Amino acid sequence: MITKTQDSAQSDLLGKLRRVGGNASAEQIGAELNRLGQTPVPLLPAQELCEAFLINVLKNQGTVACAPDRSEAVKCVAKYLHERFHTRKIVAGNDPRLAAMPWRDGGVLPRFGAAEQEFSSPPTPASLSYARLGVAETGSIVTFTGKSNPAANNLLVEDHLVLLDVADLVANLDDAWQRINAAMEEEGRPRGINFISGPSSTGDIDAQLVMGAHGPRAWHVILMGDVPDEALDNARSFIEQRLNQL
Amino acid sequence: MSSTDQAKGSRAFYSNVRSSLQETEKVNRRDMLGLFMPMIRDAAVNEFGGFEELRRHVKNIKQHSLDNLYHYLSQFVEEAKSNGNHVHFAQDSSEMNSIVLDICQQHDARRVIKGKSMVTEETHLLPHLQSAGLEVVETDLGEYIIQQAGESPSHIVGPALHKSVDEIRELFMRKHQLGERELEGPAEMVAEARTVLREHFLKADVGIIGSNALIAESGYSMLVTNEGNGDLCANLPKVLIICTTMDRVVPRANDAMALLRLLVRSATGQPVTCYTSFYSGPRQGEDTDGPIETHIVLLDNKRSDILDSDYREMLQCIRCAACLNHCPIYIGAGGHAYGSVYMGPMGSVLTPLLTSLEESNALPNACTACGRCAEVCPASIPLPDLLRDLRHDETRAKLSPTRWRVGMKIHAWLLSHPWLYHKLTALGIPALGWLGRKKGSFKSLVLANGWTDERDFPAPQGRTFMQQYQSQRDDNEDAG
Ligand code: SF4
Repeated sequence: MITKTQDSAQSDLLGKLRRVGGNASAEQIGAELNRLGQTPVPLLPAQELCEAFLINVLKNQGTVACAPDRSEAVKCVAKYLHERFHTRKIVAGNDPRLAAMPWRDGGVLPRFGAAEQEFSSPPTPASLSYARLGVAETGSIVTFTGKSNPAANNLLVEDHLVLLDVADLVANLDDAWQRINAAMEEEGRPRGINFISGPSSTGDIDAQLVMGAHGPRAWHVILMGDVPDEALDNARSFIEQRLNQL
Repeated sequence: MSSTDQAKGSRAFYSNVRSSLQETEKVNRRDMLGLFMPMIRDAAVNEFGGFEELRRHVKNIKQHSLDNLYHYLSQFVEEAKSNGNHVHFAQDSSEMNSIVLDICQQHDARRVIKGKSMVTEETHLLPHLQSAGLEVVETDLGEYIIQQAGESPSHIVGPALHKSVDEIRELFMRKHQLGERELEGPAEMVAEARTVLREHFLKADVGIIGSNALIAESGYSMLVTNEGNGDLCANLPKVLIICTTMDRVVPRANDAMALLRLLVRSATGQPVTCYTSFYSGPRQGEDTDGPIETHIVLLDNKRSDILDSDYREMLQCIRCAACLNHCPIYIGAGGHAYGSVYMGPMGSVLTPLLTSLEESNALPNACTACGRCAEVCPASIPLPDLLRDLRHDETRAKLSPTRWRVGMKIHAWLLSHPWLYHKLTALGIPALGWLGRKKGSFKSLVLANGWTDERDFPAPQGRTFMQQYQSQRDDNEDAG
């Protein structure tokens, strides 16, 4: 039973918090917060940003491809779809950047909208998102919710493919938020901001890592643009060496 | 004995421990956990570089947030409301449960899906909703397993880590009516749970999740998962309810990021979880999906009292479970022995504060004072100190057995009179040595049966430490 109105419950608690502390002015609090300084950031596994990002995507159990331009990127999508599902079909959000991709170059047949959400129908094999940002520190990509990124496309498909422009790659999570805050200034706050860093996974049974807990079983990132020639090879050999060390 | 038969309530800690130590297979599983989890945490911490610096920074941020909680909570509430959320305050568990049930009933909801949330474990939300006729399904795989088994979590991050593959196979065979099948290893079981849970996700009316951080400057709530189940709960149903507490508030998104870096490495040894999401409120403008209505329920349940007490630092806890994984008592006893929602060192501090010391005074004693928890706690909480303070409170409130208290008093008095202490030990130790000279140890000993019940007590040999120390010092002085 709720005995009090919510307004009085709120003022009761806030009143109590005010008594416990909280006499400082907003300016004083802000100044004190600024004095606490910047967050320390972790070391990147490589100096070059693309390479560091690719390494971390691979560490997150993702797979990667690099494409110098959009036409090659479409071909990468086609190759992936063929190898995994023998299909040319993919679901993509209503994102103008996705609509403008040269689909014919790879013979890919996109359907714009949301992935299958009827339980009685088979799940959609693959979806494609266009990331707002990539984060080298964590091997993450960032999307905002909305019609360009239906939640079903990130979460209810078998495989999730992501396109990322090299220009949208940032070094760390703080840089990512700087860009996100700037975007929010212009577009307002989106309902959701999603950092995705790998396929859906679980270790809940016997602490063994299994992919595809509820969401995608595989996650494929295509880095588009001016990626240094050796970045992908270096990233792969980094991972190989790591595996050999284990 | 399964956890369900275990005596409920932390008072039964000692008898629970005795039973849990009999379960050899589970003891072995816990030993593995106690080896494996610290290893992966250490690897992640070392890879980070200045982890200590990060730890200090987050401690400062958390303390600053708690010191100015009135300011930051007010700011969060204002921003969250302007983002379109309904914000509710619940003084205690029953208020939170009623608020959530009310929301479900207002929407004629029948099916509820739930992400992992320790707060809702604390308030026992699930049985409350079920008793009102709602179908509630836990969607975190670990939580789902223990829900099916009718148990409670044994670990705050991996709730079903106490269950073996065979137990889970047997459970799924019994609970999922899917006919003959092999269900060999974890991969097949995960696949089966995925299919079963997918239907629940797609049909649910209400989603309930917790929050890892509440961002004051923007009213966003951060959600950290590997499975993506929390995001499905947050995105698919028409109504979303976030159940959380005020100590999750941090000033800025960057502070949530700092916390994330610490939390994930400390919890699972990853640099980041697969899904780290920030939700501001209901669907808006041109959105084609997402909940139409969103609620944030803030539970107090004595946290405002803790804020005003000497135990304030406990509110810095980010629920990473590193202290559990490093605690010899937790690894030995297992999570269910604590008889409470929170276990391990953090649970031994939190449970008496959230319930009462009368009910849970055994828990602050579940400590060897080894200090590993404080060493690894990412939030820099001085757990052994807080446990000691609780034991102090326990003694002052005369909750510990009289014999124990009198013994401690005598001991303290003796220690404050060192000459007498040395005299007595110089007499007692040789006497004990003489009594045990034949066998070299004692099978039982008056006033020490707690020790001799489990193992023999070795008979003292030779002189006491102080006697040896004294004579060495004398020798040195002579030589010098
Ligand atoms: S007390 Fe520290 S180590 Fe334990 S769960 Fe909380 S933050 Fe983690």
